[in-house]
Amino acid sequence: MTTVLKTEDLRKQFGQLTAVDDVSIEIDDDKITSIIGPNGAGKTTFYNLLTGVLEPTSGSIWLRSGEGDELADVTDAEPHEVAQAGLSRSYQITNIFEGLTVRENVRVARISHEGTRLDFRSRATGDESVEADVEELLELTGLTDIADTPCDTLSHGEKRTVEIALALAIEPNVFLMDEPTAGMNPTEVTEIVSLIRELDADLDATFVVTEHNMDVVTDISDRIVVLAEGSILADGAPEDVLTDERVTEAYLGSDSV
Amino acid sequence: MSATDTGGRVSRFGSAVAEGWTRERLGLLGAVALVLVAFAPPFQVYLFTDFLVVALFALGFNLLYGYTGLLSFGHGLFYAGGAYGIAIVLRDLTPVVADVVGAGIAPLVTFALGGVVGLALVVALAVPVGWLSVRLEEIYFALITLAFGMLGYSLIIQDPAGLTNGTDGVIVLLGTVDLGGFSLRIGGRRIYYAISAVTVVAAVYGVWRVVNSPFGTVCKAIRESPDRAAALGIDVSHHRWMTFIVSAAVVGIAGVLRAGLASVASPGLTHWSTSAIAVIATVIGGATYFYGPIVGAFIFLYIRWAISRFPALEAYWELFFGALLIAVVLFFKQGAVGGLLLLRDRLFGDGDADDAGSGGGGARDDGGQATAATDDGAESGDDNARADRGDNS
Amino acid sequence: MSLTSLVPLIGIADVVIGLSLGSRLFLIAVGLSLIFGVLGVLNFAHGGFYMLGAYVTLAVVSNVVDNFWVAAVVGALAVGVVGAAIEFSAIRRLYDRVDSDLDQLIVTFGFVLVIHETVRFVWGSGSYSIDPPDVFNFSVTLGGSTFNAYRLVVIGLAVGVLAALWLFITRTYFGSLVRGTSSDREMAAMLGVDVPRLYTGVFFLGSVLAGLGGALSAPLQSTSPALGDQVIIDAFIVVVIGGLGSMSGAFVGAMLIGMMQSLGPQFISAGSIAIPFLAMVIVLLIRPEGLFGGIGE
Repeated sequence: MTTVLKTEDLRKQFGQLTAVDDVSIEIDDDKITSIIGPNGAGKTTFYNLLTGVLEPTSGSIWLRSGEGDELADVTDAEPHEVAQAGLSRSYQITNIFEGLTVRENVRVARISHEGTRLDFRSRATGDESVEADVEELLELTGLTDIADTPCDTLSHGEKRTVEIALALAIEPNVFLMDEPTAGMNPTEVTEIVSLIRELDADLDATFVVTEHNMDVVTDISDRIVVLAEGSILADGAPEDVLTDERVTEAYLGSDSV
Repeated sequence: MSATDTGGRVSRFGSAVAEGWTRERLGLLGAVALVLVAFAPPFQVYLFTDFLVVALFALGFNLLYGYTGLLSFGHGLFYAGGAYGIAIVLRDLTPVVADVVGAGIAPLVTFALGGVVGLALVVALAVPVGWLSVRLEEIYFALITLAFGMLGYSLIIQDPAGLTNGTDGVIVLLGTVDLGGFSLRIGGRRIYYAISAVTVVAAVYGVWRVVNSPFGTVCKAIRESPDRAAALGIDVSHHRWMTFIVSAAVVGIAGVLRAGLASVASPGLTHWSTSAIAVIATVIGGATYFYGPIVGAFIFLYIRWAISRFPALEAYWELFFGALLIAVVLFFKQGAVGGLLLLRDRLFGDGDADDAGSGGGGARDDGGQATAATDDGAESGDDNARADRGDNS
Repeated sequence: MSLTSLVPLIGIADVVIGLSLGSRLFLIAVGLSLIFGVLGVLNFAHGGFYMLGAYVTLAVVSNVVDNFWVAAVVGALAVGVVGAAIEFSAIRRLYDRVDSDLDQLIVTFGFVLVIHETVRFVWGSGSYSIDPPDVFNFSVTLGGSTFNAYRLVVIGLAVGVLAALWLFITRTYFGSLVRGTSSDREMAAMLGVDVPRLYTGVFFLGSVLAGLGGALSAPLQSTSPALGDQVIIDAFIVVVIGGLGSMSGAFVGAMLIGMMQSLGPQFISAGSIAIPFLAMVIVLLIRPEGLFGGIGE
């Protein structure tokens, strides 16, 4: 068991409002961790801090970058630097390259990872190894059949899957999933859940998931962290956390929308 | 490469040409057409050379606009940079070169040297200008490039260090090459056309390679969603900066050719109204297609010429293009190339013809469906530069 | 050259000329800024509107009624109508596009060409000038330098317009709609604001201001088809420096540029045209929101 992501007293303040309040957490690679909490608990802000989109007011963020056990300090890193360091993310509102095909989407991610982006000399497909990797990823995520379709014509569920493929293409150590089942119908939810489980088993990436769908949470989580009003309210195995009184109160209390 | 390899390639090419409207056939026809133009009446040769230069200007511009989503109203700066570079070298260094290589071949060598200097000057300018500009988004990028272009304009007309000769510009005298009993006037219409055609074709090929490389793919991703690209590890600013430099270099080459064609390097080249020509040609041709700027430049020059045959109308070609520009952006962003592809699909009824919502049947990589705003006509595996989903050559 | 010896070189006339130029620039710039602040559209054709205002004013004075002020009002309103028509027929179609900013810029640029040529078609390529209205057409001498009294009127009008706009934006209902919508279009629509009509109204207002600027400029500079292109660049410089979307920024920026153009050549003959562009670049890099950034300030 290795720590792949760590924050120390991570804080984000917007004027008077403290969105993330001195959160210290360690994510380990042997579990799927879910982060839950009522709306406004600070989950998205937390993610934005981790991915470098927002600058912390104070505190630090550490990420396992590469093969070894050492953690790199990514507190002040720019989004692209954090991604290069090994942190990947999917978005609550699907954020893929709509005008490109599925294959092109994955290819971009792969090119970025390979660092061949400044290579003028190869053909569009980069070299064969990039294409082979792209093909593998498409198979892994079940997208081979629709690989050459432009993404703006895909269904919501399919787009979400492309999003996952994109994020995995950069071979992250940590994959932050922001509400992966948002807007999906029950069939799609089941598919995504089994996909996540498969991917977790097959790949080295550690999955961290925020979710509102409690069934999904109980289904896939090995560990649940509950955020409320910017701090950690509870943290532990699903059966303990979900029966914790404070958690139910936080959800049903005055600040749940 | 062994003899059999070459033989193999030639026969593959030959069968590709014979097979139908393949890329190879179109390429061959294009090459033949280019050669034939050299035998046209002098004015037509001149007009066609003009078209080639403007086409390259627009193509370079579109590398930034169509592919990366950055609209520059100041690319004339690099156009002028190339032009003044070669003009000044020709004016001031011809005697020096003549001393080194002999008076006979000197004009050609100086011309080549001037081209290199012009290009180097442009790249040197593009590095800082680009680095500063790409930090800004959209409208602000357009404004700062406009400002840089006009800054260049106001500096050039000041005639710094007596180099640029103010508003009159620098006259370009191309000279005559004398080799034994054989002399070639570089500025002669056909000779200059040949030089330009070779240069432009090579440059277009270069841009095509860029666009169809991983570099180009990343450009398109950044155009679609800079945030998403960053989240995948792409340094967006850096990439845009690199694209800016390449774009400027291409425009610089066009500027070098422009100087010889117009026989003068003038400050007007960096005025925003010149930059606007690249915008007009590109948008009318179809910014989302590789060949859009080229087709647009063709339309721009030849319709202007056609209009000029009618003195009554001639004065109002700007009106025509203004209206056309508006109409294209509002109703048919695929531009002329999009229209041509639509026409071709209808006429030849491949069965693949498709109306992608916005009324364009344009093609994409790997034969997928098109959307007007994002179609790019650049190819991958199939290498079909015509952006055609029907042909799999 | 010491600072004190510079002072006698700045005649009061130069200052007044600078301010009156600034006043006209203010009118076009504030219109441009208003439209950008609320609609998010950078209207390239605003220079053409200014020019059109001058031409219509000239036409009315020559052919309809020999009263400058009436002609100026007609000119300004006519331009407003043209602007509203352009917004309604063309720009409106672009709001919901993904890359609306750039498309809008290109479309408005198309209108630059159309307006330029239309003006040339109707009035020819020559230049026209008229005298300031008789009642103000006299010279004033202050501190040893002379200028036309009409310029003071222009300056006064600009200040008046600034005040009127400020009151309008901060004190009227329409003004509050403008302020609210500029920050969040969707929110405003959900609150029941008729956003399309508001947009057309703002575009109309912005165009009227440009037209007024042009109308007022007719007695001070010769009017020719080149006027539009000249003034739009100045207007861009002003709004960048002053802040896109800011009224007071447009005022301060315009006065600065006006003064620079009037006084600049005396101090730094070489490079005086480069300075505004340099300033524009610097502002864009260091403080893109301009000196005053933000709407309704």
